[in-house]
Amino acid sequence: MIHYIIRRLLLTIPTMIGITVLVFLVMALSPGGLAAGLRNESGNMRPEARKKIEDYYKKRYGLDRPLHEQYLRWMNQVLPIGFKEPDAGFPKNISFGLKTPDLGESLLLKRPVIDVIVEALPVTVTLNLITVPIIYAVSITTGIYAARRRGALFDNAWGTTSLALWSIPSMWAGVMLLGFLASREYVQFFPPGGQHDTLAMQMPFLPRLAEDGFQRGWLLDAAWHLVLPVICLTYAGFAFLSKLMRASMLENLSSDFARTARAKGLSEHVVLFRHVLSNSLLPLITMAANIIPGLFGGSIIVESIFGLNGMGKLMLAATYSKDRELIMSETLVVGIIAVVCLLIADLLYVVADPRVSYE
Amino acid sequence: MRWIPNFESEIELPDPLLQIENLDIGFETARGLVRPVREVSLSIYPGQTVAVVGESGCGKSVTAMSILRLLPSPPSKVLGGSIRFAGQDLLRYTERQMQAVRGRDIAMIFQEPMTSLNPVYTIGDQIAEAVVLHQKVGYREALQIAEQSLRDVGIADPHRRLREYPHEMSGGMRQRIMIAMALSCKPKLLIADEPTTALDVTIQAQILELLRKIQRQTGMAIMLITHDLGVVAENADVVAVMYASRIVETATVEELFDHPKHPYTQGLFRSIPKIGVTSKRLETIPGTVPNPTRFPVGCKFHTRCDKMNGDPLCTTVEPLLREVSPGHWASCHHVEKFADSPVTPPQLEHKRETDLSAVGEVKA
Amino acid sequence: MSEMAVTPIEKSSPEARDELPATSRPWLEQIWLDTIGRATAKLGLVWIAIITAVAVFAPFIANSFPILAKIDGRWSSPLLHYITPADVTLIAVSAIALALWPFKRVGFRVKCLSIAGSAVIISIVTLIVIHPPKAEVFDRYRTLAKEGRLEKAIYAPIPYSANDRLRDQFKVDNPHPRAPSREHLAGTNPNGADVLSHLIHACRIAMAVGFISTSISMLIGVIIGGLMGYYASWVDLLGMRLVEIFGSMPTMFLLIMFVAAFPDYRSIYLIMAIIGVVSWTGDARFVRAEFLKLRHQDFVQAAIASGLPLRSVLFRHILPNALAPLLVSASFGIAGAILLESTLSFLGLGIPLGEASWGQLLTDAVGSGGSFKWWLAIYPGLAIFLTVLAYNLIGEAIRDALDPKLRKRD
Repeated sequence: MIHYIIRRLLLTIPTMIGITVLVFLVMALSPGGLAAGLRNESGNMRPEARKKIEDYYKKRYGLDRPLHEQYLRWMNQVLPIGFKEPDAGFPKNISFGLKTPDLGESLLLKRPVIDVIVEALPVTVTLNLITVPIIYAVSITTGIYAARRRGALFDNAWGTTSLALWSIPSMWAGVMLLGFLASREYVQFFPPGGQHDTLAMQMPFLPRLAEDGFQRGWLLDAAWHLVLPVICLTYAGFAFLSKLMRASMLENLSSDFARTARAKGLSEHVVLFRHVLSNSLLPLITMAANIIPGLFGGSIIVESIFGLNGMGKLMLAATYSKDRELIMSETLVVGIIAVVCLLIADLLYVVADPRVSYE
Repeated sequence: MRWIPNFESEIELPDPLLQIENLDIGFETARGLVRPVREVSLSIYPGQTVAVVGESGCGKSVTAMSILRLLPSPPSKVLGGSIRFAGQDLLRYTERQMQAVRGRDIAMIFQEPMTSLNPVYTIGDQIAEAVVLHQKVGYREALQIAEQSLRDVGIADPHRRLREYPHEMSGGMRQRIMIAMALSCKPKLLIADEPTTALDVTIQAQILELLRKIQRQTGMAIMLITHDLGVVAENADVVAVMYASRIVETATVEELFDHPKHPYTQGLFRSIPKIGVTSKRLETIPGTVPNPTRFPVGCKFHTRCDKMNGDPLCTTVEPLLREVSPGHWASCHHVEKFADSPVTPPQLEHKRETDLSAVGEVKA
Repeated sequence: MSEMAVTPIEKSSPEARDELPATSRPWLEQIWLDTIGRATAKLGLVWIAIITAVAVFAPFIANSFPILAKIDGRWSSPLLHYITPADVTLIAVSAIALALWPFKRVGFRVKCLSIAGSAVIISIVTLIVIHPPKAEVFDRYRTLAKEGRLEKAIYAPIPYSANDRLRDQFKVDNPHPRAPSREHLAGTNPNGADVLSHLIHACRIAMAVGFISTSISMLIGVIIGGLMGYYASWVDLLGMRLVEIFGSMPTMFLLIMFVAAFPDYRSIYLIMAIIGVVSWTGDARFVRAEFLKLRHQDFVQAAIASGLPLRSVLFRHILPNALAPLLVSASFGIAGAILLESTLSFLGLGIPLGEASWGQLLTDAVGSGGSFKWWLAIYPGLAIFLTVLAYNLIGEAIRDALDPKLRKRD
């Protein structure tokens, strides 16, 4: 097991490096380059002023250097460990050690990118932390139920429904939910967007009954704002996983070890929940590695529709304004989070499945 | 060596332990009803080993599975017949009653030891599970019983093995564990469905020897499903040969090996290499097993039979199992005095007295 | 001599048990028949056939220019005058494909090659021969009609082009987007264009994106997966890192990063290529696994031992066997590509403005003021949903047809 874990950890390193190379190359070889973003930002600037800004960024990111040097420079800048002052000249430039990672400056927001990301990341992570358990709970229960009654009405209906759910574009779901449940024209049951009500800061934390009626409080207000986005993020995931769960349950229900368990005299219930279920959950662990990147991707759509200030909306804003550093850092951070999730899923699998350690 | 009976008083009845009568099993498929088991009658007495022999797809495994009612339903259903275990018809049992029989009175081991154990639980857990269920003991005690049964099946260092997972063991070891699991509750009947097919030849011999030893010690009956005539010769007391869903011949092992009557059985024996006869080319039975969806009319074997000689009886009337000589049942129109023989359910309370090592050299 | 040949009692193997009555049809054809035997697959195929037909004949279904017009006493066909080389190529190629289809004796490969060949030739010819006017004045014939100069005109069923912004029908008291009415069955969008016409013309983008992106991704996937499975060792290790990099990155982020890298060169072809480039990992994994699994099998070993090069075994014998599973992934891939394109267009990062796309229509459903235009949400959303669902249904039907366990059951 230890051997496998070490091997797995070592293999993560080239993947991480690969992601940085990919992100860097795509953005560095971009036909517009930094200039595209600057043109966008400083459209009505005097030429000499623009030149000044351009020169500043060229020097800041070393854009006039050769490609590989640019990359190494960027890596040094991004990593939490490296040369503290690479441009300071000898001997100061060899001071090596821990430093704060520098993700550059956002052209759009005129702020350090790292600060922007630190603000946006919790929103997206919160969304995912709510979404993932819902996806797993729904898919496991429906998957078990469908597999137990194979060929019955629920199984067939759910099979078609989940394929349909899986095919619904999430922006359509978002737009429809927003349009019909949170608009002036139809039902305005849910808030149309944002993370909080404008008055949320004045609310008490928990809901309570005051003299002037029910007060929903900060927490419930936040939850209320998250209902529609969470619906948009979950349905495709659980539709997909539920089918997988059903298939893996069916496979294990007709497996040899289930037959052995029945031959022992165990009731079908025990066979199902003790023997079949434990084996059927294994592929779902691996699937987390597919679900979580998907959720990050989905957050782009959901956050933009519901106006949540998370990583997705930030990425869009960065793309619209061609904010090079912001795009690079966003993709990098999300990519690394995804690889870490992949790693965690793999390690969980090793713990859950005794066979892996042997191979 | 002599087989020493070790009966408890209630099993020492003249009645068979298990009596299958006219069992008919059907599978509903898109191509219509397939009948993998037809009018199968079979008796197993305490302490006896009954071998059911036949090619794959002849219905022998389905028969075995139907005793424990382990066939998935749908698609399978019982069309008729009875399976009486210690006088009680298992087919009339509720599922809950059946669960009490499985593992406690009748245990089963399977062909595929590699996949028959749950990969995510330890050996100890899986054996103790059955013990806790049937013997109403605590988990700790059950683990001790499990350890003892591992020792019984000849596994070295059983205490350590209890905490290991199935994938850490070889096929032979896993089959021993399956046997230990089956024996942990001291069943009266063990159904062994091709227990050695997936194993190496040396391991096969060890496993069969182990089964014989346990049978001598506990006096349990064994229903041995196999396609290997060598295994039959060495282990069985009574043999039933199945072909295309039916038992075509049944007799004691000595009788069957000495005087095979059904052309299919004869063909089987001819296709086995014999010691001393080296020059001749081995015979085979021409043709293939008919597809269960399209069985021929009349005798199911007539398409491959060398005795038929264009007899219209064979292609029109299906011969049923008859007692063609005392203690020997066969179903072939061309067996001597077949038409005059009585149609009785086969019951052979035979126990082997001698070790048939001479026949043991026969290998399929 | 093997044991099997000697004894009539063979070892019971799962393969022997699963053996079905032999069918005379080739395997792929059997799979295909099994697939379309399923009701869901039929529904999917019917919907895709409708969408394809609509895509091919879009200019004849929805067009601001009359098919036939009598102006100042002279008959002409403005629609044909404005027809583009792409329109003609599409119609001609689909006519050839339809004509070839019934010929059973013509091999599948020959059919594909001749269709592809004729597509290339026809598109070159049309590009040389057909020069539609650069400027399209959509309201020209409506103006002529108002002036009374258009004596007679036969219009397409929907007399509005996708980009016709109905400038002549602007009313202050009834601004765009307008709700569905008798004139505009699916309403208009904020620019004043007819939504139904947009929906019809957008079929082309959806179909094209689906097919071309999936072809690109499959090509990349099969090549990289094949190389990994063929060379194994370090090529495999390296390739798997590449697969892991592309596979673990959230597709949307990767996609948007690529789009962002080409800020000024946005075109539908670029979007197709990008979608292809970000979604090849599944196919690569599959082909690699297939190659690695099979190269250790006895018949491959035997073929190699008898002097057949591994390359020929893998690419000529194994790859064709992997074709049917790849069809499953192609079907799901097309669905995914259509989803990705419409999402990009919804976010305003997809195809350039002015071209019709379902996703783009959806963008305007929730206006800046928070007002909701249901016809801009339901119709395009439904179009995307049904098309994606159709491909998913087909994909699932092929997968079920391929699964021997399921085949045995029914």
